[in-house]
Amino acid sequence: MACKDWNNIPPGPANWISVETIEEGKFPNLRVSFIIHKCHHCIEPACIQSCPSGAISKRKEDGIVVVHSEICLGKSKCGLCLDSCPYKAPQFREDNQSHMEKCDLCLERWEQGKKPICVMGCPTRALDAGSLEEIESLYGKNHEAIGFIYSLKTKPAIVFRSKSKINNKCYIK
Amino acid sequence: MTMKEPNEIIIPTICSYHCGGLCLLKVHIKEGKIIRIETDDGEEPQLRACPKGRALRQRVYAPDRIKYPLKRAGERGEGKFVRISWDEALDKIASELKRVKDTYGPQAILYRGGGGNVTILQSGTPMARLLSMFGGYTTAWGYYSWEGATFASAATFGTIHVENAREDLLNSRFIILWGCDPATSIQGTNTMWYLIQAKEKGIRIVSVDPRFSDSTAVLADQWIPIKPSTDVAMLIAMAYVIVENGLQDQKFLDRYTTGFEKYCDYLFGKTDGITKDPNWAEKITGVPSETIRDLAHKYATTKPSALIAGIAPGRTSIGEQYHRAAMTLAAMTGNIGIHGGNAAGRSLGSQFPFNPFPFKIGPLMTIPPNQVEKDMPDRITVLRNYMQWRSSAHIHISKLSDAILKGRKGGYPSDYKLFYVLNCNPVNQLPNTRKWSEALKKLEFMVVQEQFMTATARFADIILPTSTIFERNDITAGGSPPFYGYLCKMFDALYESKSQLDIATELANRLGIKDFNYKTDEEWIIEFVKGTDIPDYDSFKKNAIYRIKLKEPYVPFKKQIEDPENNPFPTPSGKIEIYSEQIASMNKPDLPPIPKYIEPREGPTDPKISKYPLQLISKHIKRRAHSQFETIPWLRELEPHALEINTEDARSRGISSGDLIRVFNDRGEIIVCAKVTERIMPGVVCLPQGAWFTPDEKGIDRGGCANTLTMDEHSPCGAFTSNSCLVQVEKVES
Repeated sequence: MACKDWNNIPPGPANWISVETIEEGKFPNLRVSFIIHKCHHCIEPACIQSCPSGAISKRKEDGIVVVHSEICLGKSKCGLCLDSCPYKAPQFREDNQSHMEKCDLCLERWEQGKKPICVMGCPTRALDAGSLEEIESLYGKNHEAIGFIYSLKTKPAIVFRSKSKINNKCYIK
Repeated sequence: MTMKEPNEIIIPTICSYHCGGLCLLKVHIKEGKIIRIETDDGEEPQLRACPKGRALRQRVYAPDRIKYPLKRAGERGEGKFVRISWDEALDKIASELKRVKDTYGPQAILYRGGGGNVTILQSGTPMARLLSMFGGYTTAWGYYSWEGATFASAATFGTIHVENAREDLLNSRFIILWGCDPATSIQGTNTMWYLIQAKEKGIRIVSVDPRFSDSTAVLADQWIPIKPSTDVAMLIAMAYVIVENGLQDQKFLDRYTTGFEKYCDYLFGKTDGITKDPNWAEKITGVPSETIRDLAHKYATTKPSALIAGIAPGRTSIGEQYHRAAMTLAAMTGNIGIHGGNAAGRSLGSQFPFNPFPFKIGPLMTIPPNQVEKDMPDRITVLRNYMQWRSSAHIHISKLSDAILKGRKGGYPSDYKLFYVLNCNPVNQLPNTRKWSEALKKLEFMVVQEQFMTATARFADIILPTSTIFERNDITAGGSPPFYGYLCKMFDALYESKSQLDIATELANRLGIKDFNYKTDEEWIIEFVKGTDIPDYDSFKKNAIYRIKLKEPYVPFKKQIEDPENNPFPTPSGKIEIYSEQIASMNKPDLPPIPKYIEPREGPTDPKISKYPLQLISKHIKRRAHSQFETIPWLRELEPHALEINTEDARSRGISSGDLIRVFNDRGEIIVCAKVTERIMPGVVCLPQGAWFTPDEKGIDRGGCANTLTMDEHSPCGAFTSNSCLVQVEKVES
């Protein structure tokens, strides 16, 4: 919600971040987990290679993967980024002409010295973001979480706080 | 650091829309319009807003917001209206108030000002003051959230301010969340965050709940599913185990409580021949006896322990017994008045005046004595030491529709002709919506002050558009740790909407009532602030918050425990009353003076279960605050409104997730989607409360409002009974 308000995304299929609930087991022995879906700003993003118009790039200074929506061909004409991304991070609005959009880790907030709106909005302080070194030194290098498969090909820049039953996750750029 | 575009200003305020918390918002405004909303990013504990607060931009600018005064154009309840001027609307309301008072007396005016916005000034108070000055009115008694807990706390401890501060959970060594899901129902901003910190600290958390709630998923080391309406039996059996094993804190019981021996007599069957052991409770609750023994041992032998007695199990037909039994358990283990403990009483209300913290406040708008209550006897179940709504002129909140329908012929103190509603949505949020639909057609006149076309507003003769929290000045107090909040007017009221105070003031002029209000909203707030510890009004207004700094988390009853000679409990005996003489003197067999298990109406042992075999409970949903925010698009897409049903119950009915299903009993029928899940016990179904009652031409509620199914009754003390409700579920054949 904070993301939709901050980035002014209308209601509909485009969600730069979403939360999935995963239920396992049979009553009364259950495990329920929550996993976030978003762009993980991969170290080797497959979307960049897939894009025929060169609309996607990874910023040298901080590793944030950004999309230049205006030169994207659109989902109906192309949609190759969506096929290439193991995390289905590229988002499109309902309208067939819509161009790809996705999480940019609140680029404009970083420039102002502020963390992304999702990190600053989470009521349980379960999210954090920062440089790779910073985040790994704070939270370790665990890539395992229920509902998440680490792609060896793209190397998503995300770690999960290990040995905690709470699903704390941290994104890194 | 502020970040803004040119011409952009950031104004902090407090979100007060009754979700269970009070949070800080930072509203970005450009050229008089909200463009973005941030939340608290200052010092911890930050008051981070939930999705509802974050979606307020869509509420303020909602296309379906009521923009102008409206007059009914079709039949009452048909929902057809035409735009009228404020003058016409207010003139009509004033003349109807006068006509009804002159013709039938002031008691025929029924007023309901609810808690939809938990602030102090722009609340139901201005209209209550006005109607009192006008000659009186009839109103309701009973809190629908927590009357069972309120009664039980007032009877046992002499006050409703009984819960330790939420941040004190970090001082516990063992926490039981009983029927409590703060991940969804908030229960005070940051409750979930404190619980997560407690968990990370290694504090063991157990959840007792018919549902595997989100809080259970994130926090609990153990989940104990229990049949709804039977919680008291398990608590009683835990008391039995504690006494059987001599684990009670006898020194605490001797020094601070009264009636423990009588309770023991009940536990060991001396009064009724039934031993209240875990085997007895297993048959009632469905919880294995070993699980009950184990939890009793852990609770009694780990000190301090916090038993958080959620208010949902109290919204049953024996709600007060659950709360009394939980408090007794807290007393038996000496977990009262100490850090890390909890009185297991009325769950913490975030906002003043329910918040346990003793806020200091300046003079507020007062409500003069209500003439309608003069010379009327007290209600039978009223506690001498709890003054709220003691007059029998009041109607129980669950009985309002019945009272409108039947009046004097039904044994009510009056016939009711005019209904004035603000800050609430009784048709949707009070039980038995079908009865409401019938009752409201009997009225001569009805006024609703609203922002949206709710199920209640559809029945109005006149609807007055109200402003949002961003369009007027207001004040609030609450939180844990405590704070005062300022809700700042950021722009003029949109369209033709007005604030509660302005509407009442304009109506007072038309009714010829002088001295109703001689201050602006800001002048009231300045008076209020003068009585507090807030050092500087201007910086308070600018920051929207003044945090009260405490050396340690606030713990009620500390003085009573540390120095009992000089600080008795505010009960008739001066002690914690496990046995209550006050209750005994009411002489009601279904309201015993010690906590007891009584077979609950529409519980698992009600004979009706052969016809309606599923126990319906209702929960909060993250995208609504009760019935508020229902039409906000950003929130609607967060999660669908659906009935949770266990896989076994679904399979035997041929139901899969996403199927349309009928949920029905003798009171009504709804059609909703099914959500088949293992996260709810077999035999129990759960519907998020607050969906908008939307009857089709056959009267079937297509909106899926839980109260289409609930009974318009109350427990012996006056608890709302929404979680004692039997239903059947069938697949809709397409």
